[in-house]
Amino acid sequence: MIADGYNLVFRKSNSGSANRISGYKESEMSLEFAYYPGCGAKQVQKEADEAARAVCQELDIGLFDMPNATCCGAVSLRETKPAFSLAVAARILSEAEAQGRDLVTICNTCLQTLSYANYRFKTEPEILEKINKVLSEAGVRPFEATIKVHHLLWVMTDLVDQTMLKSRIKRPLNGLRVAPFYGCHNLRPEHIYDGEAGEKADHLHRLIATLGGDPVSYDGQDKCCGFHVMLSDQEEMKGMVAKNCLSAKNAGAEVMISPCTLCDMAMGAYQGVAEKSVGKFIGLPEMNFAQLLGAAMEIDEKKLGLNRLHISPRPTLSARGVL
Amino acid sequence: MPVKFYTFRIQRNRKSREGRIESRWQEYRVEAEETTTVLTALEEIKGHQDGGLTFRQSCRSAICGSCAMKISGRTRLACKTHIGAVSRDGVVEVAPMANQPILKDLVVDIGPFFKRIRKIKPYLEEGPEANTDVGKSAYDQVNHVTQCIMCGCCYSDCTMSEVSPEFIGPAALAKAFRFVSDPREGQKTARLKDLSENHMMWSCSRCAMCVEMCPKDVAPMEAIVKLRTRGLEKGFKDGPGPKHALAFHEDIKKTGDLNEFTLMVRTIGVIGAMKEMGTMLHFMKKGKVPSPFPHKSGNLDELSKIYDILERDKPDVETKAKEVVPE
Ligand code: SF4
Ligand code: SF4
Ligand code: FES
Repeated sequence: MIADGYNLVFRKSNSGSANRISGYKESEMSLEFAYYPGCGAKQVQKEADEAARAVCQELDIGLFDMPNATCCGAVSLRETKPAFSLAVAARILSEAEAQGRDLVTICNTCLQTLSYANYRFKTEPEILEKINKVLSEAGVRPFEATIKVHHLLWVMTDLVDQTMLKSRIKRPLNGLRVAPFYGCHNLRPEHIYDGEAGEKADHLHRLIATLGGDPVSYDGQDKCCGFHVMLSDQEEMKGMVAKNCLSAKNAGAEVMISPCTLCDMAMGAYQGVAEKSVGKFIGLPEMNFAQLLGAAMEIDEKKLGLNRLHISPRPTLSARGVL
Repeated sequence: MPVKFYTFRIQRNRKSREGRIESRWQEYRVEAEETTTVLTALEEIKGHQDGGLTFRQSCRSAICGSCAMKISGRTRLACKTHIGAVSRDGVVEVAPMANQPILKDLVVDIGPFFKRIRKIKPYLEEGPEANTDVGKSAYDQVNHVTQCIMCGCCYSDCTMSEVSPEFIGPAALAKAFRFVSDPREGQKTARLKDLSENHMMWSCSRCAMCVEMCPKDVAPMEAIVKLRTRGLEKGFKDGPGPKHALAFHEDIKKTGDLNEFTLMVRTIGVIGAMKEMGTMLHFMKKGKVPSPFPHKSGNLDELSKIYDILERDKPDVETKAKEVVPE
């Protein structure tokens, strides 16, 4: 077996880790997480952060801030300073671990970066030891690799009791045709994640169905939003946005949702720019999954930051009685 | 193993007299087990139902790379793919690979793919950097990428190649890494210089599709990340890709968070940023301009200490293949 020859990134199985919250569904105990919104939600896509907090408050999910956490560095830091990138991730993960909580994020790229590091720490003890030596010397608590990294979307679809979630949907989507845009960094490479990933992942489809919507499948739903080449390959990035949005629209979508603040920025904020570049009108409202979930839960739209979206989903949502 | 009927929805393509490709979908019913391969089913169709169906195949053992095609939306080797793993409600959809010209039915012109491979000079070159003193662990990086069988699955599913005909593509970059990391290669720096040009290693969007779809676990994107690290180490820092990457470690070291306010200017320069004014105004209207003074994370001194320790004593944290010990 070729894969057996590799001991690192190619190993397909997830290692065991402390599962502090697996009993939630059964015991109805409340969920608590160290919350890592990521730079995108802290600086530009603030509405995703606001919606996540509002939805979690309603569902009694505890999001605990991480005052010492820095930017995860994304793959960029891995390219410039591979060891620093692992140390930065270990410091973030250690802060969550010190709280005694798993980490949750709302950014696909942060999810991938932290999951990648966590996966390596759990499967390569010698790397963890090297990095912990550096952390200790710098006065940081060493990371013991006992926690998991979650996406808030996985929490909603896989950890929260679905009957309870359904009972909180006051304004169901009434068959609204919603395009799920998964993006890349919550799906690939599959083996590094603690949640459902890879080709079989259907969490966004399931969430849309729970909200009473009609999930639209289309070519492009698990492709790249182009965010990471927004500045280096601008035309190509616009091409990706236009292709994905047009494909969703042609499949009959009225609204698009994504689980990622960076995909939100690309597919939402840059859609107008992409339209101009390909000379085609698209006009597909794009929103963060937490915003649509919040709207269906009848959370005040100001709290969800709907006014910050570039193409307003208001008319479409109002027509279905969601707003 | 239970036998059942599967529907094969196959894209039939042929050239019209005017040279245009005409496409239509045709359905076939095949009796098979879950573990029957897609290639076996195609042979059954060709042998017993429709001799005109055209596809490539040779080794039947995931070695030659001939049978790569789109199967249920992704590019896979037909001889390695079990029907049960890709059928959706009993239907398997089969189409030719993407990003390459179609010749007939499931057969594409692999010329453009191999043109890209040739562009990176896929052979060892003599030169000043060749190391003749090759140690035991010298190939732990090379081994990752030598498994490539040139099937083109990664190129067909690459999200950047889909929108950029100029992009060199994942397989060629993985092959380039194979030589850059070979201790015997004499032109490592020259190669990294070439790879720093437009549409080469910095144009990958890091979608990891190639990591997921490569049937031989080559993980091209991992090789691309390593190429970028080595290019930066050799001082190839021009261009938006490298500048963007370098901005991350500067910011994290300084304030902990990324300074998105200045990121654009640092990546594409003042003139480039001015061209983006229209987009910026559009962002401003929505209150989406980041603060020039980003939030500082707590205990920042820890970060600079970590950075300094690592700069002083650079630990090797690269992923490597296990040493192969002959039995
Ligand atoms: S890297 Fe993998 S998918 Fe790409 S050509 Fe080589 S073997 Fe095929
Ligand atoms: S990671 Fe890069 S090379 Fe691989 S498929 Fe995505 S864009 Fe293409
Ligand atoms: S027939 Fe050779 S790889 Fe499939």
